[in-house]
Amino acid sequence: MRKVLEVKNVSKLYKIYKSNTDRLKEIFTKKSYHKEFIANNSISFELFEGETLGIIGVNGAGKSTILKIIAGVIEPSSGEVIRHGRVTALLELGTGFNNEMSGYENIYLNGTLIGMKRDEVAKVAKDIVEFSELGDYIHEPIKSYSSGMRMRLAFSIAIFSEPQILIVDEALSVGDAHFASKCTNALRERKKQNMSIIYVSHDLNSLKLLCDRVILLNHGEIVEEGESEDVINSYNFLISKLNDNEDKMVIKEANNSSFGTFEVEIKEVKIIGKKSKSNLISSGEESTIEVIIEAKKALKDMTVGIMIRDKFGQDIFGTNSFYQNIAIDFESNCSYLCSFDMPLNIGTGKYSITTAVHSKDNHLDNCSHWLDHATDFEVAGIEGELFAGICRLEPKIRFTKRDNQPCTE
Amino acid sequence: MRHNILLAFSFAKRDFKERYVGTGLGQLWYILSPVITIFIYTVVFSDFMKMKLDIVDNSYAYSIHLVPALLAWTTFSTILMRLNSSFLDKAHMIKKINVPMYTFQLAIVLTELFMFTISMLLGVGFLVLVDQPVTLTFLWLIPLMILQSLFVFGLGAILSLFTPFFKDLKEAVPIVVQLWFWVTPIIYMKEMLSHKYPALLTYNPFFYFADSYQDIFLYSKAPSLARIMLMVIMTLFILFLAGYLYKKMVGTIKDII
Repeated sequence: MRKVLEVKNVSKLYKIYKSNTDRLKEIFTKKSYHKEFIANNSISFELFEGETLGIIGVNGAGKSTILKIIAGVIEPSSGEVIRHGRVTALLELGTGFNNEMSGYENIYLNGTLIGMKRDEVAKVAKDIVEFSELGDYIHEPIKSYSSGMRMRLAFSIAIFSEPQILIVDEALSVGDAHFASKCTNALRERKKQNMSIIYVSHDLNSLKLLCDRVILLNHGEIVEEGESEDVINSYNFLISKLNDNEDKMVIKEANNSSFGTFEVEIKEVKIIGKKSKSNLISSGEESTIEVIIEAKKALKDMTVGIMIRDKFGQDIFGTNSFYQNIAIDFESNCSYLCSFDMPLNIGTGKYSITTAVHSKDNHLDNCSHWLDHATDFEVAGIEGELFAGICRLEPKIRFTKRDNQPCTE
Repeated sequence: MRHNILLAFSFAKRDFKERYVGTGLGQLWYILSPVITIFIYTVVFSDFMKMKLDIVDNSYAYSIHLVPALLAWTTFSTILMRLNSSFLDKAHMIKKINVPMYTFQLAIVLTELFMFTISMLLGVGFLVLVDQPVTLTFLWLIPLMILQSLFVFGLGAILSLFTPFFKDLKEAVPIVVQLWFWVTPIIYMKEMLSHKYPALLTYNPFFYFADSYQDIFLYSKAPSLARIMLMVIMTLFILFLAGYLYKKMVGTIKDII
């Protein structure tokens, strides 16, 4: 495959000066007046024709800097970027739009700004209008547009400018679901025509869906590069380390709802995917919910239960030891681990886990501890065959011709 | 490079088209504002104040002296001030789109040059009205105007490179421009300066332009070869210096705006 982009040992140092005068002095003299801040440290990678490369990293990892360098908006302090073909960046959608002018005029304006010739724009103007679904609004001035309409127009222009490399930075998050999926499809379509994409997003699910390869940046350096699945898992491990301290706090403070007699107390709740080793789990992945419980008093015939809720607080799935006929007895001053192993057959999205210790099948009797929102997790990407919705029902599909209904002409 | 220059032309065209969008009179304003300027100075100085110049045989001689240099100065100072703050004004664009800054600056110069052309044509029209001879020598106006625009392009570009470092320049330049106006023989005669402070003329680049326009308007006198050489060298020098500084500084400027 043909290389379309070579990034060779690119570093970006931001020099920090006491004043702009010092900065100016340094341009014209040999003396040094600055402290250094390293935004990118010898980054090298290549991008091939038709490939989608994802870049992830926590805030401040240097993602935007490297994108701006690739786009040519800022210059690297050392190293070089070789571009084979036009690079179009959707760094901020609609930069360079003129508010007073109509959408149609802005197609020309924005198109020439991102490097198209006038006749090239003229060729695709009609397609752009159609794709953006703006209809007659295209002749209204941009100032009357909603942010969604602006975004649709900007994205349409970018996709029809047919760049060799398209840089997409969180741009797809603006539109509604309909347009977002239209964009994703359009990106796939262009990909087949050998356009390469650099995609930066915090939406891990879309990264897994779109990217062939992902680069993980941390402190301005490439930490890992490879299959989306693996790199995203390392990314999540990185985040979980950052979050560790905060998570425990949440449980202790129990700001949402934590109640009961506390004779038996839930100390910690964790969910871990078998492959990802973190709380970012693919749909269908074997995973374990671990509930650590401390008993202060001896209690017999108790139940430990969990409930998975989606981001709207809807119950998705719940079970407990009572339903499974597992008797649980606590001795006083002992610590227990209760784990729930299961393939996580739910759709992509963010979920929370609520846990409780009580007797019988619900918490109305002898509730020792009820802990809402004990922890949360995200399902991103799907193992095995794809599906839509929140539950995987695994139907067998059969397709036959009906014998008693002959085909009619 | 070629694409960027073409881009500057299309920016200029757009800027020109949209400047008076939404106004009732629309593009008539382009003509109206120089006409009013010419009218005011003619009426005030020639009719009210009865300023007379004996140098040519025309009761409007003073206005004829005033109009071309004043119009040229308007363009000169407008370009200088617009360029001066151009990096700060276009910061949102150059941080996100890979279009070099000089494209935006060239577009400013082109727009103003076009408006300069309109106002100069009106100035010549005024000469016809007051029975001042208009000859082929007036064609010299074209290279002079282009040369002046290139010169101020270089000067403004240099200033614009320093403004992001010293924001004070944004405030200081308009004041300096005003001073510059009053040390240049535009409102008054160059003879009033040449005896007392000849250096103010010798080292004032705009004086050479103003004086050449006045010569053409008043006496249909073409600029001398020596003067043209001087202006060309001056312009080339300032453009070269601007190019050198631009290359050296533009990367850093992108980091700080």
